[in-house]
Amino acid sequence: MSSRRSRQQSGSSRISDDQIIELVSKLRQLVPEIRDRRSDKVSASKVLQETCNYIRNLHREVDDLSERLSQLLATIDADSAEASIIRSLINQ
Amino acid sequence: MSSLQSNVDSTNSETLQRSNPKKRRKIGHTNSPTLVPWRSDTQQRIYSSKLADALRHVLRRNHPPPPVKSNTGREVRETADRVLAATAKGRTRWSRAILASPLNRWKLRRMHKKVHKAATGLGKRPPETRRRLPVVQKKARLLSRLVPGCRKLSFPNLLEEATDYISALEMQVRAMTALTELLAGGTSQAAA
Repeated sequence: MSSRRSRQQSGSSRISDDQIIELVSKLRQLVPEIRDRRSDKVSASKVLQETCNYIRNLHREVDDLSERLSQLLATIDADSAEASIIRSLINQ
Repeated sequence: MSSLQSNVDSTNSETLQRSNPKKRRKIGHTNSPTLVPWRSDTQQRIYSSKLADALRHVLRRNHPPPPVKSNTGREVRETADRVLAATAKGRTRWSRAILASPLNRWKLRRMHKKVHKAATGLGKRPPETRRRLPVVQKKARLLSRLVPGCRKLSFPNLLEEATDYISALEMQVRAMTALTELLAGGTSQAAA
């Protein structure tokens, strides 16, 4: 397999382009925005942009969920919390 | 040739994984095959139980609830992140970075953002580091700021960390949603 090595002044000259293409395609499979569209004409920069947006969305969702969880934890006392948690572990 | 093959392999194993959630994700020849299968139910169960434990500690600590405490949300978030990193078993860089900095990551990040924004107006990009197109480089830099602990990573490693981080975050959202609904359902039952 021919891996193109472009020597530049920066020290990271041993990264092959094929490797990057493979990683970008893997990333593309994960991000639902790009996965649901036609996936053969998406450029690398668009993949990166959508990835950043997706990660930011996930962060925001986790933040919202943490807020809700903290409010729930504040309003219920320890006993019923533990009971419901144990119940959940059994039911799963 | 072989890159196409590994692409086909990963797609195959991905569809297999959707139907059989316990199968480990087979990555190609270059990467480490021991990453955590974030999509499996077992992992989610492990994470949920660990998270429930940790939250119980937080709850116990705050149980005589101080009335002015407004950052419990952040505590929950940090606990969730720490448990997530612990579930990753420390094999990925972002998990190690989360575990290594128990200080308030968000405060540091906010300060860092302000400093960084002030600095980029003055600094100029040296012309010889145009390894990738500058647009892609800028996006890669954005990405490296979002994934914890990946600021100085090379581009392919950064992408690898990002893929793992995204799967882990998705699992975190799923687990926390389930837990929230459970607790909400539990409270309404207890009240009735």
